[in-house]
Amino acid sequence: MSLLLKNISLPLADFALEVDVEMHRQVTAVFGPSGAGKTSLLDLIAGLRTARSAFIQLDGHTLTDTVKKTSVPTHQRGIGYVPQDLALFPHLSVRWNLLYGCKPGGVKDPSFSLDHVAEVLEIQPLISRGVTELSGGEKQRVALARALLASPRLLLLDEPLANLDAPLKAKIIPYLARVRDEFRVPMLCVTHDRFEALALVDVKVRQTGPVSEVFTRPASAEVARLVAVETLQPGTIMSVNDGLATVSVNGITLTALAPATASREVFVCIRGEDVVLQHDPATPSSARNRLPARIVSLHPEGALVRVELDAGFPLFALVTRAAGAELTLREGEAITALLKAPSIHLVPRGNCC
Amino acid sequence: MNFRLIKILFVGAALIANASLHAAEVTVFAAASLTDSLKEVAAAYEKESGDKIVFNFAASSTLARQIEAGGPADIFFSADEAQMDRLEKKGLIDPATRKSRLGNSLVVVVPSDSTLQIKSASDLTNASVKQIALADPKGVPAGVYAKGWLTRQQLWPAVEPKIVPTENVRAALAAVASGNVELGVVYKTDAAISKNVKIAYAVPRADSPDISYPMALVKDSKQPAAAGKFLSYLSSEEAGQVFTRFGFLLRE
Amino acid sequence: MTAEEWQIVWFTAWVSALSTVTILPFGLALAWALARRDWPGKSIVETFVTLPLVLPPVATGLILLKLFGRRGAIGGFLHDQLKLDVIFTWRAVLLALSVMSMPLLVRAARVAFEEVNPRLEQIAQTLGAGGWRVFFTITLPLAARGVIGGMLLAFARALGEFGATIMVAGNIPGKTSTLSLAIFENVQLGDDPRAFRLLGVSVLLAFTAVWGSEFFLRRKKAT
Repeated sequence: MSLLLKNISLPLADFALEVDVEMHRQVTAVFGPSGAGKTSLLDLIAGLRTARSAFIQLDGHTLTDTVKKTSVPTHQRGIGYVPQDLALFPHLSVRWNLLYGCKPGGVKDPSFSLDHVAEVLEIQPLISRGVTELSGGEKQRVALARALLASPRLLLLDEPLANLDAPLKAKIIPYLARVRDEFRVPMLCVTHDRFEALALVDVKVRQTGPVSEVFTRPASAEVARLVAVETLQPGTIMSVNDGLATVSVNGITLTALAPATASREVFVCIRGEDVVLQHDPATPSSARNRLPARIVSLHPEGALVRVELDAGFPLFALVTRAAGAELTLREGEAITALLKAPSIHLVPRGNCC
Repeated sequence: MNFRLIKILFVGAALIANASLHAAEVTVFAAASLTDSLKEVAAAYEKESGDKIVFNFAASSTLARQIEAGGPADIFFSADEAQMDRLEKKGLIDPATRKSRLGNSLVVVVPSDSTLQIKSASDLTNASVKQIALADPKGVPAGVYAKGWLTRQQLWPAVEPKIVPTENVRAALAAVASGNVELGVVYKTDAAISKNVKIAYAVPRADSPDISYPMALVKDSKQPAAAGKFLSYLSSEEAGQVFTRFGFLLRE
Repeated sequence: MTAEEWQIVWFTAWVSALSTVTILPFGLALAWALARRDWPGKSIVETFVTLPLVLPPVATGLILLKLFGRRGAIGGFLHDQLKLDVIFTWRAVLLALSVMSMPLLVRAARVAFEEVNPRLEQIAQTLGAGGWRVFFTITLPLAARGVIGGMLLAFARALGEFGATIMVAGNIPGKTSTLSLAIFENVQLGDDPRAFRLLGVSVLLAFTAVWGSEFFLRRKKAT
């Protein structure tokens, strides 16, 4: 699918949202802190809001063009929406909620039939219930199914995991994966949790820069720092003991905090600021991980220096210039990288999103 | 600020009370059809006597009801004997002061731009006459008289479905003047008041019931002396001239 | 109670019910527009809607008399083009009751619509429902309690209408005589027993309608 958001200028409470981006992936995560205007952006895409200026095109169809003053009405856009508060119709049963968006005359694609969708999302036993009797997770799946049953061309999800506790989050993610794989509907997810963004997105491993699509905001350097996870490597959990997980990355063993999910295949995410460098490998410290590494390159970035290391896998550190000078870091030099177990974030990958 | 307002109110009330100590105020409950003529008579009287005349014009049946309920009338001037009898039976008027001086006649009026021709009473039964405005024939004198006339002509059953009863004779006149009904039956004296109606047919004296306007002193009057004075004036030559000018008949 | 009196009761009840039904389409549309839309001059519309509640009923009646009389802007057209008379017919009663009770329906329905979460309507749109479908399947069902309460309130008001009615319809026995007009007339004529009988029925009808209305307008307990 291709979603073009160009020249978007949307005045909000205390700032103006400006977006100019193209999205092509099957699953796209939009990340930003709360209040950044993410829901407003989704509303705009769905046609529920108007912007001072906007050009929105989906798969070649122009949905909104403020220059030409055209706007396709919401009910004709074919864009499904699962809002943060789910908005299930309280006066209708689950069945009639699900059927609300179904076009009369049956479905062309049998994979979008009520039975199939209900099966995939495991909501068959709930069908005859009333909406108010459902639990949080059940409501989430019903809202998702309802949007799917309208055969949308694009699915918008606003904070799909926000209202759920950790075990429930782990349970919903596979359903989202199923939606992506079974129904092949492109999804645009919005979240304020960077690790959820990672979990949701279909990612080709990238070594540098931010992994998810972001908004541009007036203070873009700040945002980049919030989002950027300098080191992202695939890894496998070998064992879990006592709340700690032993993870193998490219053959190197790391000790990290055990994640909530049960999956073995993970992404190992390490922020540059969390990597401590020291020359002497023998000095005792509280860090569980002591990695011998070689400095590959040094990039000054304002008051900081970005150090690219080879620790058996690409590892990035961010240190102050002063620190860099004190340690007299030089390219090609050997150095020890210290990583505390809590600094190593493990995000499920593979058979999850 | 509040105190100032109260002071002003007190002074105002005192002034009003003061004024009424010097001149008597006579309240007259009178039939609606007497509105214009009585006002003129009263104006002349007020100049002569220094007393103030206050009116309550309405259908005589309404006024009778109000007096029964204790309404503050000094004089009752009715458009028919029936309403005066009603009050006399209940001992509410002084029968010694009862006098019937005025009479009136009935006319059929139509809107001034109407092309309707009424040559006789039976024309009221024509299809072109859809609605007829009358003061409520159940009790208001003008309506009772009109019903009496039509009953005598044996036309009442045919005409009854067309009747639009109004609260008093002036309301019937207004209904015709507005053009919302084809014709109405009112007093001759009323027809003269409105520019928007014209007389289509004058009911001959012989066909019409005897129309009589009795007046009397109300027993519970607070101003019996002043009221009595005005009552006498109403029987005077001057008053009679005004009434005649307005079209009333004198019955002496 | 005589046959004539029952006729008055029956007439009053059915004209009041008819007036409630008559004002429903326009009243709900207006209530919805006031609840969901904004436009320049909206406050003027709001004021006009409330006016019949506050103006003396006879004043409203007078305005209607002028408009719908044979010489009036609307009445003239009806009389000349459609041979239809309004004043002094049952249609005038319907008119008076409708105008006087409409504000109550609009106000109650507006509140009911405002209490429907707009998000639900928006999501319904994303599911492919156009404006009318959203209104009839989402907005109206969720606002039903308040709307019905408003209808009952309007009905109760229509039952008791007097001032405007007497101006435009008069009190023609068998044709435009409503309960309130009949009570007034009988008091005038001194027929107290009849007036009190009609009063009794009036109170009964009004009580039932208002009680029903309160039942529907009462706030739902938070779920």
